[in-house]
Amino acid sequence: MAAASAPTPPSTAEIAEAAEPLPSKLENSEADCPRKTRPGLKRLALTFTVLFSFLLGLPFLLKSVEIYRSPLPFREIDDLSAAVESIPLQFPCKFRAVFVGTGGSSFDANELSVKIEHQMRKIAAKDSTSCGACSYNSSVSVVVENGADCFRSDNDFNWKCGALSELNRYEDSREYNDELFDEYLHSLVDKSDGRGNGGNVYTMIVVRREGQKDVSAVVGKYRHGWIVGRLSEEEAVKKVATVFVKVFVNGGKEEGPISGEFMPVGADGKIVLSFNLLNADPHDWIYDWEFQEIDDNLLAPILKYLKPLADISVESQVLYHTPKSSFSYWDEKLGGYIFTTKDLPFFVNSNEWHLDTSVAAGGRSKILHLVVYVPSATECPLQLQLPNGKISKSNGFISPMWGSVVVWNHAACLNGSKMETRVRHMISSEDMRKIFEVFIGQLRQLFGLKSKGIFRDASGTIRLLTSESGFTEWELDVLSRQHTCFNLLQCTTTLGSLSRLVQSLPRMIIKEEIGEQVRYSIEAAKLALSNVSAGIYDASAVSSRRARSFAEDAFYHPSMMSVSYYSFEHCFAVYSPFFLPVALHVLLAALREWKRYKQESRKFKAWKAKKD
Amino acid sequence: MSRLKSCLLIFLALFSATESINVEVLNEEFTEALLLRPLPDRKVLAHFHFRSSAPPSERCGRHHHIFPKSIYQLVHKFQVREMELSFTQGRWNYERWGGFDPISSSNAKPPGVELWAEFDVPQDQVDYSWKNLTHALSGLFCASINFLEHSSSYSAPQWSFGSASGKLRYGTLPREAVCTENLTPWLKLLPCRDKAGLSLLMDRPSIYRGYYHSQRLHLKSDEFGASEMSTGMVLEQTLTVVLRPDTFSGQALQPSWSLSSLIGRSVSRKCSLSSSSNVYVQFEQNLVFEGDKLKEDGEASENAIPVGDGLEDNPLFELSLPPKRVIKELGNSQKAGSILHEFSVEDSNEFKPFDLELNWKLPVAWSCPQAPLQASRFLLGSGNERGAIAISMKSTKSNNVERTSSFDENECWLRVGIFQIVPWYVKVYYHTLKLFLDGEPQSSMENIEKIIVSPSEDKVSTGVMEMILRLPCSVNTAALTLEFDKGFLHIDEYPPDANQGFDIPSAVIHFADFVANMSFYDDSLKQVPILSKLQEEVPVVSYTEVLLVPLTTPDFSMPYNVITITCTVFALYFGSLLNALRRRVGEEERFLSGKGARKAGPLTLMISKLSAKLRGKPWESPKQSESGRSSSKYKLLAKVVLVAGVAAAWQFYFQ
Repeated sequence: MAAASAPTPPSTAEIAEAAEPLPSKLENSEADCPRKTRPGLKRLALTFTVLFSFLLGLPFLLKSVEIYRSPLPFREIDDLSAAVESIPLQFPCKFRAVFVGTGGSSFDANELSVKIEHQMRKIAAKDSTSCGACSYNSSVSVVVENGADCFRSDNDFNWKCGALSELNRYEDSREYNDELFDEYLHSLVDKSDGRGNGGNVYTMIVVRREGQKDVSAVVGKYRHGWIVGRLSEEEAVKKVATVFVKVFVNGGKEEGPISGEFMPVGADGKIVLSFNLLNADPHDWIYDWEFQEIDDNLLAPILKYLKPLADISVESQVLYHTPKSSFSYWDEKLGGYIFTTKDLPFFVNSNEWHLDTSVAAGGRSKILHLVVYVPSATECPLQLQLPNGKISKSNGFISPMWGSVVVWNHAACLNGSKMETRVRHMISSEDMRKIFEVFIGQLRQLFGLKSKGIFRDASGTIRLLTSESGFTEWELDVLSRQHTCFNLLQCTTTLGSLSRLVQSLPRMIIKEEIGEQVRYSIEAAKLALSNVSAGIYDASAVSSRRARSFAEDAFYHPSMMSVSYYSFEHCFAVYSPFFLPVALHVLLAALREWKRYKQESRKFKAWKAKKD
Repeated sequence: MSRLKSCLLIFLALFSATESINVEVLNEEFTEALLLRPLPDRKVLAHFHFRSSAPPSERCGRHHHIFPKSIYQLVHKFQVREMELSFTQGRWNYERWGGFDPISSSNAKPPGVELWAEFDVPQDQVDYSWKNLTHALSGLFCASINFLEHSSSYSAPQWSFGSASGKLRYGTLPREAVCTENLTPWLKLLPCRDKAGLSLLMDRPSIYRGYYHSQRLHLKSDEFGASEMSTGMVLEQTLTVVLRPDTFSGQALQPSWSLSSLIGRSVSRKCSLSSSSNVYVQFEQNLVFEGDKLKEDGEASENAIPVGDGLEDNPLFELSLPPKRVIKELGNSQKAGSILHEFSVEDSNEFKPFDLELNWKLPVAWSCPQAPLQASRFLLGSGNERGAIAISMKSTKSNNVERTSSFDENECWLRVGIFQIVPWYVKVYYHTLKLFLDGEPQSSMENIEKIIVSPSEDKVSTGVMEMILRLPCSVNTAALTLEFDKGFLHIDEYPPDANQGFDIPSAVIHFADFVANMSFYDDSLKQVPILSKLQEEVPVVSYTEVLLVPLTTPDFSMPYNVITITCTVFALYFGSLLNALRRRVGEEERFLSGKGARKAGPLTLMISKLSAKLRGKPWESPKQSESGRSSSKYKLLAKVVLVAGVAAAWQFYFQ
C-alpha cells in the first residue's frame, strides 16, 4: 500500500510520451510507449498469489459447510430388495405321505413320491403364488406300510416303520371320533418323528379300507391329516397333493376379494387387543363383564400361543352412551330389530364410541378394537341379517385392520321381560364364553384364516379340526410364514424408499442413528432370509419383525422429518454476499494483470527486436 | 369372580380392622356434584365436582368398568403418584369472590395451564417420566403441554407443593388458550360424558362466556406403594365457572336466577352410573349473618314471623325446590357458619327436568371471607435493559388472623410462603431482595424464616425462589422487590409473537398456618365426596397475576442484514487492498492527462478539476479533441444498445 501510494513517476514513460508529439491512431499503445525494460512480475505474482490462495481455500470452505450424512449401504439395500422381490420368498417345507394298508397293490414309494410332487406342482401352478408359500422343489417322502412290509422313498425323514401298525386295531376297537383319533395319531407320529431335526414335517396318512364306501379326509390340529376310505392310487395322490398345497401351505384359504396381504401386526411387531363393552344406553340397563377372569382363563393361553407371531397385549374398557350410528328396523317375522350387511359401514359410531388409542401402545403398534355392543331398549333384540335373508348366528362382523363388533342381546330382552335399571348386571359366563368364541373366530378372520371347519374343493371336502386355542399348529405355521414374508417385503420397500429419498435430497442431514438402524435392519433381514432357507419359522418371523421395525424406525426418525435441512440455496444466500464481490475483484485483477503483462512483454519484445 | 371375592374380603377386613369413618370403598365408584354459590358482585359460582375411584389394581385387577382406561394407563406407564392439571381462563377475583374457602384455595388457578406431578420412580428417572408425561397429556388433552418438556420450563419445588420428596415437578404455561378442545377430552373421562347427569349443564357457549373458568384434573394413586392399605386411584375432575346471570332487572343488587337462565340448560337425565348426583347451593357465612340479622330485626319489630327452621322462611331469598337436606357449617363464636342446601337430581327426567331457581326477596350486600393478605405482583422500572419484580401484600384486616393465631399480641406472627418461578431470560439478582413492611425497608433478614433460591442457568433451568416470610400480625402492607436484568435470547428461541412480551408465571402465595376447610355437625357427611373435599384441610393458597415482560426483540431479518453488511465491508476491503497493491499511479496519471486532452462534458471537467485539487496539483485545462469525442459517442451508443439488447433478451427468455 505504502509502496503503491508513494509518488514515483516512472520517468521512462514520461519521456516516451514527450518524445511522441503526434500519436498515431493505429497501434496506439505500442506506438505510444515503446517498452524498454522487461515488464515487472511483482504485481502479477501478487494477484496470482491472491487468486490461488482463494482457490486453495475453496475446498476448506466446502468442507466447513458440509453436512453430516451417515453413509448408508445403498448397494446392500438394493441387493436385499432384489433378493426379496425378484423371486417370491419360498420356504422349504417337508412333506410326508404314509400309505397304510394298501392291500395287495404294489405301490412303489419312489414312484408315488414323484407322482405327488408332480400333482402338487400342477395345483400350485394354478394358484397364484402367495407370499410365504412353500417351495415345491423339495421332494415328498413316501412311506408305504403294508402289514409288516415297509417301503420308504429315498428322501425319508426318519420315519419309524411300524409306527402305525396299531392304527387298524385302534379303529376297530373304539368308536371312531376325529378329535380322539387326531390325538392318537399325534402321539404316534410324534413318537416316530425325529424331533428337532430342523423344521416340522407335514404328514398325510392314507388308510385304505375296502369296507368303507365314502372317503373322508380330515386335517388335524397338529401337522398331520388322514384320509380313510376306499380310494385308488390316483385319487389318493391327488387328494394328498391337494391337502399339502391348499391346506398345509396356503392355510385352507379360499380365493377371496381380500388377498392375504393384510396382517394386523404393527410395525414394531405388537398388537394391542382393545376389548370394549359398549352400553348403548345405560338408562335402560347397564352391563358389565368379568374381564379379568376372561383375560386369565380364555385369552392368556391364546396370546401365549400366538407369541411367535406377535407380541399381543390386552386391555379393556366399558363405555356408556354409545349408540350405533346406523338404523335398524323392526321385523315382525324375525322377531327383532334388523340391521343388514348394507348398514355395516355405518354401524361404528366414531363420534360417540371413544375407543381411544391407547397410551400403553406407544409408537407404531397395531390396535385391534373388539367391541361388544349391548343395544338399548329401543333396539333390542338387534339382529344382523345376512344377504341371504337369514339371521347371522354370530351376530357380529369384522372390519379388516380395524377390529370387530359383536352385538349381544341379553336374555331378558329376548324374552321381553322387564329389567331392573340402575343395577349393574353381569354378563353371564356362558354368554361371555360364546361372545369370546365369536371373537376368536373373528380374530382368525382378521388374521386371514378361514372361520369354517370345512375346506371345499373340486376333489371333495376336507374337514379341518379346530383347536381349542383357536389356532392349529399348521395354521400358525402358515401365519408365521406369511408374516415373515410380508415383513421382509415391507422392510425392503421401506429401506428402498429411504434410500431413494436420501439419494434424491443430497443436502439432507442423516444422523448416525439412522445409518445404524439401517444396518441393523439389513442384518436382521439377512438373518431372516438365512433362517427361511433353513426352514426355521419362528426365528425367521422374529428376525423379520426386527428387520421391519428397524427399517420403520429409520424411516420415521424424527430428524428425517425436520424441515430445516440445510439447502444449497441457503448456503448460497449466506456466502454469496462475501464471495461474489471479492471473487470478482480477484478474478478481474488477475485477468487484467495477465493481459497487461502479455501486452507489455510484447511491447518489450518489439522494442528489443527493433533495437537489435 | 374369585378376584372380586377377595376384594370384598379385603374390604370387609379393612372395614372391621380400622372401623374408621372415612371408609375407602374398594369398589369402583363415580359421583358427581354441583355446588352453586351466589357471589357478592352479582355473579354466581358454579363448581362441578366429579370423582371416579378405582381399587388398587394389584388386588382387583387392571380392568375397570368406570375408571377411565387412559388415566389408568397413564398412571401405570409413568408411575404417577399424584398429579394435578388445570386449564384456566380468566383470573380469580380474590377480593370479591373470596380467598379463604376450600373452593378458592384449591380451584382458583393461574391462567393457562398449570401442571404438577409427583412420581414414584427413582430420583434419576423423574425428569424422564415428567417429559413423557407432558407429551402424553398434551396428546390426551389437545394442549401444548409438551412445551413443559424442556428443563428450562419446569422446576422442582422443594417444599412449596405438598411433599418434599424431590420427585415433584411443576410447570405452567401462562399463555395457553383454553377452549372446548380441552374440555371435550376432559369430559371423555367421565362415564356419562355430557350425555347425562350434571355434565349436561356444560353448555359450551355459556361456560366460555363466563368470567372465570378453570377445569382441573387431580389424580392420586398409591398403586406403587408397598403398603397393604393402598386405596387405589382417585381421579377428581372439577370445573369451576363464574357466571353472571342474564337478568333484565338491571338495578337490583342481587339478580335472581335459575339454572336454565344461568347456564341455558337443565338436567333432564340423570347419569345412571353415578352413585350420587347432588346439587348444593351454598350461602356464605356473611350472607347468612346478614339474613339472621334481618330476621332478628323483623322479629323485634313485628314478632309475627314464627321462629322456625329459619330456612324456608328466610327473609332474604327463596329457592324454588325444597332442599333434600340442609347442612350447616360449624361457625365461630360470633357468626354462624355457611349453609348448604342439598338437592338431588336422581328423579329428574325428560318430562320433569331439574331446574333450580333462586329468588332474592331483599337487596343484600355482603363480602366473602378473605385470605389474611391479598397479594399482587407488578413490574418496576422501564426500558429494555433491567427492571424489578415487586410482590405487594396488603392486609385484608379479616378476622381470620386473630382467629387462628391465639398467641398474645407481641408474639403474633403471620407466616407467608412465596413460591416464584422465573424463566432464565429474566435474570434475577437474588441478593437484591428487599422487604418493606408498611413502607419501611427492613434491613436484616429477620423476617425471612426460610428461603431456598436456585438461580437460573441460561437455557437450562429456571430460577426458583421459595421462601417463608414471618410478618407481624399487625402489618398493613408488605412488599418484596427483586431486581433483574433482561437477557437476550438466541434468534431461534423467540416465540412467533415475540413482540407481545414474555410471561413470568404466577407466584404462589400460601399461608401455611391457615387452613381453609368447612366442618359440619354431621360426621357422616364425609362420605359424600364433594363434602369430604370441602372438609379436607387445604392450606390457603392464592396466585398472583402473570407478569408480562417486554424483552428486546430483534428485527428477525437481522442475521441476513448482518451477513450482508459484513460481507460488503469485507469485499470492499479486499477489493481496495487488491487495487491499491496492483495500481500504477504514475501511469494512470499519465493516461488521465492524455485522456483529459480530449474534452468530455462539463461533468468530467469538474471531476478532473476536483481530483486535481484533491491531489494538490494545478489543473491543466484539457484540449479539445473532436475525434475522441466522436469515438466515445459511438462507444456510448454501443453500450446503450448492448444493455437494451441484454434487457430485451432477459425479458424474452424469462417471462
